[in-house]
Amino acid sequence: MCALVLGWGPSVARSAQRPAPDLKAGNTAYRASCARCHGVTGRGDGVDAKRFSPRPRDFTLGVYKFRSTASGTPPTDEDLFRTIAHGLPGSNMPDWQHLDEPTRWQIVDYLKSLSPVFEQTAPTPVVLAADPGPSRANLAKGRAAYERLGCAACHGMTGRANGTSAAGLMDDWGRPIRPADLTQGWSYRGGSEPRDVLLRILSGIDGAGMPSYAEAILAEEAWPLAYYVRSLQESAHWNPSAHALHLAGPAPSEMTDPRWPLAERTDVLVRNVVNANGEWTAPQTVKAVSFQVISTDDAVSFRFSWDDPTKDVEAIPDGLALLFKPVGNEGDVVTLQAWPHAGSPPLDICYWSAENYPIIERLATDFQSVIARTDPQPPRLTGAAQYADGQWSLVVQRPLHPTSPEGAAVLAFESLTSIAVMVWDGGNPTARAVSPWVDVALERGRHRTAAHH
Amino acid sequence: MRRIRSYSPVVMGILVAIGCGSGKPQSAAAKTDGTAQMADATAASSPAAPAGSSATASLGAATIQLTARLDGAAPTREVVKMNADPVCQQQHTSAFYMEDVVVNAQGGLKNVFVYVKEGVTGTFPTPAAPVTIDQAGCWYHPHVLGLQVNQPLEIVNSDATLHNINAKPTVNPPFNVAQPVKGMKTTKKFPKPEVMVKFKCNVHPWMNAYAGVVNHPFFGVTDDAGAATINGLPAGTYTLEAWHEVYGTQTQSMTVGDGETKTITWTFKAK
Repeated sequence: MCALVLGWGPSVARSAQRPAPDLKAGNTAYRASCARCHGVTGRGDGVDAKRFSPRPRDFTLGVYKFRSTASGTPPTDEDLFRTIAHGLPGSNMPDWQHLDEPTRWQIVDYLKSLSPVFEQTAPTPVVLAADPGPSRANLAKGRAAYERLGCAACHGMTGRANGTSAAGLMDDWGRPIRPADLTQGWSYRGGSEPRDVLLRILSGIDGAGMPSYAEAILAEEAWPLAYYVRSLQESAHWNPSAHALHLAGPAPSEMTDPRWPLAERTDVLVRNVVNANGEWTAPQTVKAVSFQVISTDDAVSFRFSWDDPTKDVEAIPDGLALLFKPVGNEGDVVTLQAWPHAGSPPLDICYWSAENYPIIERLATDFQSVIARTDPQPPRLTGAAQYADGQWSLVVQRPLHPTSPEGAAVLAFESLTSIAVMVWDGGNPTARAVSPWVDVALERGRHRTAAHH
Repeated sequence: MRRIRSYSPVVMGILVAIGCGSGKPQSAAAKTDGTAQMADATAASSPAAPAGSSATASLGAATIQLTARLDGAAPTREVVKMNADPVCQQQHTSAFYMEDVVVNAQGGLKNVFVYVKEGVTGTFPTPAAPVTIDQAGCWYHPHVLGLQVNQPLEIVNSDATLHNINAKPTVNPPFNVAQPVKGMKTTKKFPKPEVMVKFKCNVHPWMNAYAGVVNHPFFGVTDDAGAATINGLPAGTYTLEAWHEVYGTQTQSMTVGDGETKTITWTFKAK
């Protein structure tokens, strides 16, 4: 039945550039480009493997996540080629566009030689009906399918990876794994277009928890569901620098301040810090932070929002630190991944935690003293936080020129201030996520610029 | 357990349009629409899979009566925490326990899969009747089952919540399929012998089950008393293996004469 209706057409056409398989050439290319993570023998145990969560694929098992084929059958050659060519966004698998096509095909043939599954089982491509296109996609029907098919059990009703089963998921190798945050289209490993989404739904993600819905979904639900998932994606603003909106009057201290929609939004990726053994032991739950900045003549307010699948206020509370370089600090903090290290310069840390304490600010050379609030009276900042639908929002308001703590960072107009954020998820306590430094420009003349939403 | 299905042209049309999951007709057969599945579900209160062969008297007349025992103190059974899914929790008014080690007062060990590992010759017909594994109360019923190569395995969701049945064979092709709707059925077959195939549900990580797949009808799973029966065995000398998910495997050899009944006891050492 399947063989008669293969109408979907692979996105990567079988290339005229595909050479005859040459495992020796494939092995050479594999060792040069793949072995560092996937291991010399393909067992997923390269020197850098432990720095990743999820771990690099073990090719000898023949289990592949991103396929256009029925659950339990291997990927097509084109699926493998696509993953090599495009990488897996949101994971550590980069794209390999810089390898010429014949080399990529040699790697495909080499990977297939590492597992007997390709000889034992034929790929069974799933069949997609004709794409109705975005203008004819029935989002209401898609939403109903999202509910009927139980997508929310893992991905959550709003798609923020906060379903009731999300925290307990394990992959087939016994490592914790998290469902995709469907609002973050940029993190969909297999691509964010409706067709990519539908392939994941019908094929499942073998080795991960995502099952195949090929037998559960109704024909009329398929494309609407894919377009509905697409509609959950929120566009991210990876601005090279952030610009504060300058306003007269008091700086906002509430989430609901009507001036927030006027301020530019900037998104910044955060990355888990490796543990003392250089390992990532848990998958990321917080992957990005959005922020807006509003300045007045004497204060600055930051509004942060980030997806966190669980609200944790007790044992290990959720938290966020906003970091500046203190006044007079000439030390270079290249990356927060390694901070604090021996001889670290102090940082100006504005720290909020979900346990019911005020936001505080202090200079410190480590986080523990800030988190533990050992300072009897650290300066308190104005702000507010709320948690809804798998997302925290936080406003922190701070003077431009604080009188304490001594040496606190001063934010000046017509110049750049570097900030960074660090996020703790109490529901994923081994994973502390840090951002790179981002320049924030404070400009007196920048009044009510068009909001970039 | 045997159910007659008819496939309307409409349903078959849907199947073609959606695409063929595994591409096997028997798995496509489960792709009825939600309404039909619900209707099926009300009729289906499938008992546990048959422990062992159906009567195959023509094959032979020897019987082996098996008992599995645990020597030593059984570990305390863990209460299953189902609070991640209210639909699961609401179905249990009292504590529900893990089934990895189930021992009765006399030491009888449940859920031991016993089969003839060596000595069977010839081929045996594949039963058309499916073996059923039911997801009910967010638990697999039965926890351990046996079936023959290519015998249909009917996987049923009796819960009003999403289950995914993630089969992790190493010799047979794996699969991981979603069953979001109460009453949904999926039929799968395993084309090669494999002892055991593990099943798990990622949505409910406490759920797991095991299936022993063999190419003849001489197998059984021990019951609450730790007992199972293999019958219809031709006279001969056989190696039997007993498998338990915690205590591993043991083998024993035995010879049975035509029409003879023998008893055999397996003793597993508590850890």
